[in-house]
Amino acid sequence: MARYLARRVLHALTTLFLVCTATFAIIHAAPGGPAVLADPKLTLAERQAIEERLGIDRPLAEQYTRWLGRVARGDLGNSFLYQVPNSAAISERLPSTLLLAGSALALALVIGVVVGAYCAARPGSAIDHVVTIVASGAMAIPVFWLAMLLILVFAVTLGVLPAGGNATIGAAPSLGDRLAHLVLPAIVLSAALTAELLRYARSSTRAALLSPSIRVARSKGATPARVLWHHALRNALIPVVTVLGLQLPRLVGGAAITETVFSWPGMGRLGVEAALSRDYPLVLAITLVISATVALATLVVDMVYMWLDPRIRLH
Amino acid sequence: MIRRVVLAGCAALTAWTCQRDARDKRTEHDTTLRLPLINDPILNPVIAPDIGSVMINKVIFPGLVRPDERLQPTPDLALSWSASPDGLAYTFALRPGVTWHDGMPFTARDVKFTFDQILDINSGSRLRSDFAPIAAVEVVDSLTVRFRLRAPFAPFLSLLGYNAGIIPAHVLEGRRLTDAIDFNRAHPVGTGPFKVTSSTAGSAIVLERNPAYYGDAPKLERIVFKIVPDVNVQVAQLRAGELDVILVEPANLASIERDPRVTLREVPVVQHFYVGFNQRQPLFASQLVRQALGYAVNRSAIIEGVLRGRGDAPVGTIPVALGRYFADTVKPLAFSRDSARVLLERAGWRRGNDGRLRNAAGEVFRFVLFVDKGNPTREQAALAVQHDLQTLGMDVTLRMLEFAALVRDHLLTGKFDATLIWWTTPPDPDQWAFYASGQDNNHVAYRNPRADSLLTLGRATSDPVRREAIYHAFQVLEREDPPVLVLFYPRELLAMRATVRGLPRLGLRDALRHSERFYREPLAPRD
Repeated sequence: MARYLARRVLHALTTLFLVCTATFAIIHAAPGGPAVLADPKLTLAERQAIEERLGIDRPLAEQYTRWLGRVARGDLGNSFLYQVPNSAAISERLPSTLLLAGSALALALVIGVVVGAYCAARPGSAIDHVVTIVASGAMAIPVFWLAMLLILVFAVTLGVLPAGGNATIGAAPSLGDRLAHLVLPAIVLSAALTAELLRYARSSTRAALLSPSIRVARSKGATPARVLWHHALRNALIPVVTVLGLQLPRLVGGAAITETVFSWPGMGRLGVEAALSRDYPLVLAITLVISATVALATLVVDMVYMWLDPRIRLH
Repeated sequence: MIRRVVLAGCAALTAWTCQRDARDKRTEHDTTLRLPLINDPILNPVIAPDIGSVMINKVIFPGLVRPDERLQPTPDLALSWSASPDGLAYTFALRPGVTWHDGMPFTARDVKFTFDQILDINSGSRLRSDFAPIAAVEVVDSLTVRFRLRAPFAPFLSLLGYNAGIIPAHVLEGRRLTDAIDFNRAHPVGTGPFKVTSSTAGSAIVLERNPAYYGDAPKLERIVFKIVPDVNVQVAQLRAGELDVILVEPANLASIERDPRVTLREVPVVQHFYVGFNQRQPLFASQLVRQALGYAVNRSAIIEGVLRGRGDAPVGTIPVALGRYFADTVKPLAFSRDSARVLLERAGWRRGNDGRLRNAAGEVFRFVLFVDKGNPTREQAALAVQHDLQTLGMDVTLRMLEFAALVRDHLLTGKFDATLIWWTTPPDPDQWAFYASGQDNNHVAYRNPRADSLLTLGRATSDPVRREAIYHAFQVLEREDPPVLVLFYPRELLAMRATVRGLPRLGLRDALRHSERFYREPLAPRD
C-alpha cells in the first residue's frame, strides 16, 4: 500500500510539472501581454520601468527557471494584477470555491444517484421519460445561459434569492443568508454533472438489477426497496465513481463561469481574470493548485474504488 | 416521507422569503449606496492601474482641487491658489485642520510626497506623463506648497482635480508604493468623506462615513463597492436592488428602460471614439485619403443604430463635453460617398471593373481593421465602418482581439493598419500627447507642423478666451488634415435606482469626487 501510494504521488508530481510547463508555454505564447502594460497612455520609458520591476524583461527560460526555483522553496510569487503574494490571493478565494464545488458535488451525487436508481427500477415509466428529457436538457444548456435565466427569474422577477455574491454585504453573517446565496450557483454548477451521474446511475443500476445476484436476493424474499437500494445500488456505484473522478476537473474549471456570473468570490473567477489580464505568476499558481487538487481527488477516487469493490487489486 | 420533507421545505422557503422581503425593505431604506467594480482595486491613486481602482480612489483620496459641474477646478484640499505671471509657479494654500483617516494631520509634506512619487519612474506611478512638466514641488510652510513647472502648462489645475489624489507621507514614506500591500488592498488612509472599514477579496469593499471629514458632512452612512465582473450581471443586480448605480452599454438599455425602479442619466463625457489609421503606412499618409475616409463613414447611422442615439456627432477630436473648447461653429462632418469617391480619385484610387478600388499600379486598397473583442458597441461600430468602406470598393478585413493584445502587440508597437479605439482624457482640451509629432501616445504617427504649433500653444496658454480660439483653429485644421477618423462622442449611460439622489451632473468618475453629496430618497410605497 505504501509503495503504491508513493508511486502515485510521484506520478502526480510529474503531472504537475508537465502541466505547469505547458501552462507557462501557452500563456506566454498567447497574444498580448500583462494588462498592467496594456495602457495606451504609458510612455516607452514607463513601460520599460514596469517590465523591469515585474521581471518580464528577462529571457523566458530565465523567467521559468526562476519561477521553478521559487516554487521549490514554497513561494508562489506575486500577482501582477493584485500586487499581493499569489498564495494569499488564492487562499482568500479557495474556501469559497471549495464550498461551491463541494455543494454542487453533493447535490449532484444525491440527486443523480437517487433519481437514477429510482428510474432504473421503473424503466419506461412516465417519470423515467420526464427525467431523461430533463437530464438531456441539463447537459445541453450552456452554464452562462442557465445562470442568467435563474438570476432573472429568482432575483429580478420574483426577488426571492440574491443575484450574486456569497453573503449580503454589511449584514451580520448568518447561515440562512449564506445558504440563500449558495442555492443558485450550486444548482447551476451541478446541473450538467447531476444529469450525467443520473444517466450513469440509471443504466448501471438497471444492469445490476438484471444480474444473477439480484435474482438470488429476490428469491430469498428481500423487498423491492431493499433489493434496489441495498443490493443493486452498491454494485451500480462503481461506474458512477469513475465518471465522478473524470468530471472533477470540469467541476473546478466549470466553476469559473458560474463564479463569474454569480460574482462568487472563488478561485475559478480569479483564474479567468488572471488569464485575461496575462497575470503570469497568478495563472501559474492557480494552475498548480487546481492540478494538485485534481491529482489528490483522483487518488481519493481510486481509494474509494478499492473500498467499493475488493476485487480491484493493487498493481 | 418524501411528501413530508417536501412540505417542510416549502414551508421553510416561504417563511424565509417573507423574512427576506422585510430585510430588503430595510436595506432599501437605509443609507448605503452600492456601486460595482469588476475586480479587486488597488487603493492608491498614484499606482492605480485600472478604471475601477481610479473610481474608488476618488472617494477615498481627495486631490488639491475637484471639478465642478462645468468641469472647472474648485477648492478641495487646497483652499486657494495663485500662479506666477510667467505661469511657471503655482502656490497653493492648503485647507487647515484636515486629518487623515488615521487621525494624523494633513500637511504640505503629504502633497510634496505624493508628487515626488508621481514623478518617480520607479514608484510604479501611473500619473507620471500627466505631470511631466513639473520640475519641483516645494514645501513653503506646513500649509503652503509651491509647484515649479518647466514650461507654462495650462491643463495643470484640471489634472490636479482628475486622478491625482493625495496620499499620506507618514504611512508610505520609505516604502515602494507597489509593496505596501496592506495599504493598497485593505487599509488605505486617505482624507475623503468615506473611509475603508472592511475589504473582502473578490466580494466587496465597505466604506463608512468619515465623521472628521473637512467638507459638508457626508449624507450616506456607507458606500459599498461590490465586485461584479460581468456587466449583464450588474444590470440584473441593479434591477434586483443589489446595486444602486452602474454604467451600462447601449445594448443593455432595452432591459433597463422598462423597469420603473431604475432611472437612466446620460452625461457627455470627455472621450472621443475613432478609427486610427496608421500614417507610417503609405496608404494612409495621404491627406486626401484620410479626408475621403471621413466622408465615407455614416456616423449618424452608427450613433442611431449602435449607440441607440446616445452619442453626439463629431467635429474633430475635441468632444462636446469640453464646453467652450468644442468648435460648435464648425458643422459636423457630413456623410457623402460621392465626396469620398472624388477625393479618392484625386488621390489616385479608382474603382476597377471588379468593383475594387485600385491605384495606378493596380494595387487594391486593402487593410486590416482591429477592434477589441467583447464590447458590443465597439464591435458593431467596427462592422459598420467595414461595411461603409467596402461599399466604396476597399478591401477591409475586420480582426477582433483582446484589448490587452491590441494595445501591447499592435498599437504601442505601431504594427497595425487601422484600429477602432478611443481616448478618455482629463477635462481639458490639451491633446498634445496624442496628436503632436513624435509623441509616444501619438500611435497613428500623425504629423502636421501647424497642428504641432497649435497644440503646443494651447498647452502653454492659460487665458480661456485665447485658448478657445486656438482649439477651434485646431478643429478646423483637423478637417483639412484629419489625424484620425472620429466616429462619435459617447454619452456615459448611468443607470441607477430611482431613489438615488445627489449625484452631480458629471460623468461617474468626476461625480465620485463629490460623494459626500450622495443620498437616497425614502422609498415610494410601490418601489
